[in-house]
Amino acid sequence: MTADILIQVLVSGLLIGLIYALVAVGLTLIFGVMDIVNFAHGEFLMLGMYASFWAFVLFAIDPIVALPMTALLLFAVGVIVYQTVIRRILKAPMLSQIFATFGLMILLRGLAQFFWKPDHRLIPHSLVSGNIALGPVQFGLPQFVAALGAIGVTGALWVFLHRTRLGTALEATAIDREAATLMGIDGQKMFALAWGIGAACAGLAGGLIATFFPIFPEVGANFILIAFVVVVLGGFGSITGAFLAGIIVGLIEVLGGFLVGPEYKTAIVLSLLLIVLLVRPRGLLGKA
Amino acid sequence: MTTMTQTRKAAAAAGLLALAALLPLAVTEPSQQNFLILILMGAQLGVAWNIVGGYAGQVSLGHAVFYGIGAYASTMLLLTLGLSPWIGAPVGGLVAVLFALAMGWPCFRLKGHYFAMATIAVAEIVQVLVTNSDLLEGAVGLTLPMDRGGLGWLIFLSKLPYYYVALGLLVLTVLASWAIERSHIGYYFRAIKDEPEAARALGVSLTRYKLIALSVSAFLTALGGSFYAQKEMFIDPGSVLATSVSIKIALIAILGGVGRLLGPVLGAVILITIEEYSRTLFGSTGSGTDMIIYATMIILVAVFSPSGVLGLLGDLRRHLPGGGRTAAEPGKMEARP
Amino acid sequence: MRFADANSEPTGTPSTSRPVTRRRTMARLLGVAALLATTALGGLGIGAAPARAEDEIRIGVIYPLTGAAASTGVELKAAAELAAAIINKEIPAPAGLVAGVGMPHMKGAKIRLVFGDHQGNPQVGATEAERLITSEKVAALAGAYFSNVTATASQVAERYGVPFLNGESSSATLTQRHFKWFFRTTPHDDLFVTNFFTFLEDMEKKTGDKLRTVGLFNENTLWGNETTKLQVKLAADRKFDIAEKIVYPAKTTQMTSEVQRLKASKPAVIMQSSYLGDAILSMKTYKELGFLPKMLLANDAGFNDSEFLKTMGKDGEFVISREVWALDQADRNPLIRQVNDLMKQRSGVDFNGNSARAFTAIAVLADAIDRAGATTPDAIRKALQETDIPATGLIMPWKGVKFDADGQNELGQGLIVQVQNGQYATVWPFDVATKPVVYPMPAWDGR
Repeated sequence: MTADILIQVLVSGLLIGLIYALVAVGLTLIFGVMDIVNFAHGEFLMLGMYASFWAFVLFAIDPIVALPMTALLLFAVGVIVYQTVIRRILKAPMLSQIFATFGLMILLRGLAQFFWKPDHRLIPHSLVSGNIALGPVQFGLPQFVAALGAIGVTGALWVFLHRTRLGTALEATAIDREAATLMGIDGQKMFALAWGIGAACAGLAGGLIATFFPIFPEVGANFILIAFVVVVLGGFGSITGAFLAGIIVGLIEVLGGFLVGPEYKTAIVLSLLLIVLLVRPRGLLGKA
Repeated sequence: MTTMTQTRKAAAAAGLLALAALLPLAVTEPSQQNFLILILMGAQLGVAWNIVGGYAGQVSLGHAVFYGIGAYASTMLLLTLGLSPWIGAPVGGLVAVLFALAMGWPCFRLKGHYFAMATIAVAEIVQVLVTNSDLLEGAVGLTLPMDRGGLGWLIFLSKLPYYYVALGLLVLTVLASWAIERSHIGYYFRAIKDEPEAARALGVSLTRYKLIALSVSAFLTALGGSFYAQKEMFIDPGSVLATSVSIKIALIAILGGVGRLLGPVLGAVILITIEEYSRTLFGSTGSGTDMIIYATMIILVAVFSPSGVLGLLGDLRRHLPGGGRTAAEPGKMEARP
Repeated sequence: MRFADANSEPTGTPSTSRPVTRRRTMARLLGVAALLATTALGGLGIGAAPARAEDEIRIGVIYPLTGAAASTGVELKAAAELAAAIINKEIPAPAGLVAGVGMPHMKGAKIRLVFGDHQGNPQVGATEAERLITSEKVAALAGAYFSNVTATASQVAERYGVPFLNGESSSATLTQRHFKWFFRTTPHDDLFVTNFFTFLEDMEKKTGDKLRTVGLFNENTLWGNETTKLQVKLAADRKFDIAEKIVYPAKTTQMTSEVQRLKASKPAVIMQSSYLGDAILSMKTYKELGFLPKMLLANDAGFNDSEFLKTMGKDGEFVISREVWALDQADRNPLIRQVNDLMKQRSGVDFNGNSARAFTAIAVLADAIDRAGATTPDAIRKALQETDIPATGLIMPWKGVKFDADGQNELGQGLIVQVQNGQYATVWPFDVATKPVVYPMPAWDGR
């Protein structure tokens, strides 16, 4: 193996890793605030992709330009899902919550197939298309932009949680719900906000991925397992952890697949997860 | 607990069993019998899962690994050594127990969602390995020989014998679960689930009892896997080792009521019915309607009856006049349900 | 959003554990009771076959109508329905088409297709087959696209002694089971893979280039695995070198590692088996990483799906694929154009290899039932065995339909097509080709 190929593999792994991180931050945010694992997160991603697709087809708006709208739309979806379903199962045991979000996952897939047909679709020519070649290393512009977007969104989320009043309130709810309530923070609103932001992150990820990935009702299934792995590896609830873990998973997946064999790439990533959990039972940066 | 209620419960159980045994007299259409078998299979898996996921509170979302081990072990023994599944299935069960011990030892250090995720990871890794294994025919899968038949080989032309074998397997699993629930082991399981620190302080070895729970559950789940192979006569990694199988097993238990002896049976009746009903009536349109109906039902149950359908019935009993019992904390088990 | 007054009740937060009130419990109970009642009624409803007309011939058709392959399943369904409409004379049939004359020996009885959804799951496929046979009382079954589902569904048919006609599954093992009730119209992978190597040898003669280093790139379900095995075996027999052999996990998020490995092994030719989503993703990755073999030989499926070209546009050009059907064969067989026009009117898309085969399966089955003059399984089976349809009655580029002892159509043939100007042009066998092969594959940015 030459150095060129190694560099190429690392760059590809880094790019896809950043995209995994973006998909995972929303998931980990929701978990961090209210201890609920959202099985339907991949479907939020799918909705984000479809939103971009229809914006492109119906209104000729490029997915990149449509990103704010996609985020807003998915924010609304997240809040609606919270208000209609999640709010009612807050007190339910963890298992019923899994059950509800699992149902939600199937429901959103079914609705997507019902309204938009099971076809695979693609946004043929987005603003960001084509390749970049840096010496021997090549990569797609869409992937590069998506990776930049991932850094931007994760960074913005971090600033929001640590530097704004609302974000701090959200973070406080995540750390200690009782104490936050005593401090006068409205838990219900915080939860709704977490779902809105979590879904909006998935929507942004969807908008960015839609520039290079086929769009179909079951597309969430491709990403959800990896997203879970990233969340757990980073530690449930940790944004920084998810960001780091996303990069690690991307690098290991591409590098492992290249060296050992692509048929084992998922198994390699999962083995890494198990090994890390044995050493650190709460992931890399999970809360104690 | 008076002898009176004991007798009443025994009579109710006997009545249920008699009803189940006589049901095929009324339901003669093979596809309807097949539907009943699917319910029995689902119920058996749910009851087996409940031992570790319900009583001991260790939520496994990787039970497909035991299911797959059972299916592959009995099938491989049949294909390579010509062994009957009467031998192959228990052997598969033992392999599953060994695997459970090896997997549980490290994984039981993890808590809550971390444990659940680790079980998914283990099952997914095994699925990848089997998919790429030449010995096990990889993704091509294994086909059971059609030239054999009869009770000795557990291969039948009609549905009726499968029905009774599935019923027998379910009864065996319920009895095992019942025996555990009544024994001191069951008491420790509940202690581990509800008061782990107190249990540890009293000298209960958490890991040891968790391993016991997982092993029993794995053994019974593997038997269910062997039965699947005998009934469908074809197995591949996608149908017996997939995470969707694990999730379905857990859903059945959750739907009926976790930690209750017959909760998963009720869960299987409801879930399998919804699944088959929505697909049969709406699946042929190709518009996704069946998924929408199935999912809506699931969400409704989760929202309206978070502790399972049996849990809801329990709530009601407490609120009825003369219900007699003080309200237990929702979601937690009573000492003797 | 503002913070709530510190004194106001923090309603609904998980920390407040109000006891469940009786009224709420009752409401919940009513909800669940209603649910239970519907499911119980539903359970009884399963299998209670609806009333049907006397002169109706029911055929069960099993396809993946939900799940990852739903888009293909829906397309197959449309094709099967077109066939039924033609057989039932709702649409006038082009002259000479098999089963185009309706069912004269059955006193003009109508056929009705009863569809089942197998969701890509072998167990569901078996369950649906059983339901269609025992409660829908179908006279014969057709389907199921996925080879592993066809395997279990046809096993059920075999047990019940009901004819099963498969039109689209190409796993070679299906007809090696020596089933009594299983018939298959499409040629299988043995033939397709053999064609690939013959095609490569022909191309070597034509171009003078060496095309002996092959990269295998197949997905990891039954189909991709069997294809890989056949390719490895034939490559050894015919003295080709396998530069790289990759069996990748289907439904993946990225194919960078796969394509990097292929690129590093520098094969002259890639042989690829992928379903639609993976086909699109792999093509994008080839372009992204600047990988360009001299030829990309695709094994049908995703690369021949109606949506492949629609979504890929220019980037889908020059892919070479094995096919069982091509629109440009219409010049040799006018039926192809005529029936394709009917398809286009009805569902807005052209036929492709999959839907044309689904159409043909229903037509061949209806023809057999008509010749049987009865709907008993034995009569239909006998008629299927006696099937001898000439090439002129088909919309397929086959020599005809005639089943061997294992139920395999002996007269099936494969084509090799290449995407040229947004169309699939037949390029091999050379004697039926409509266009010469564009070789080698032009650079990604030079199009």
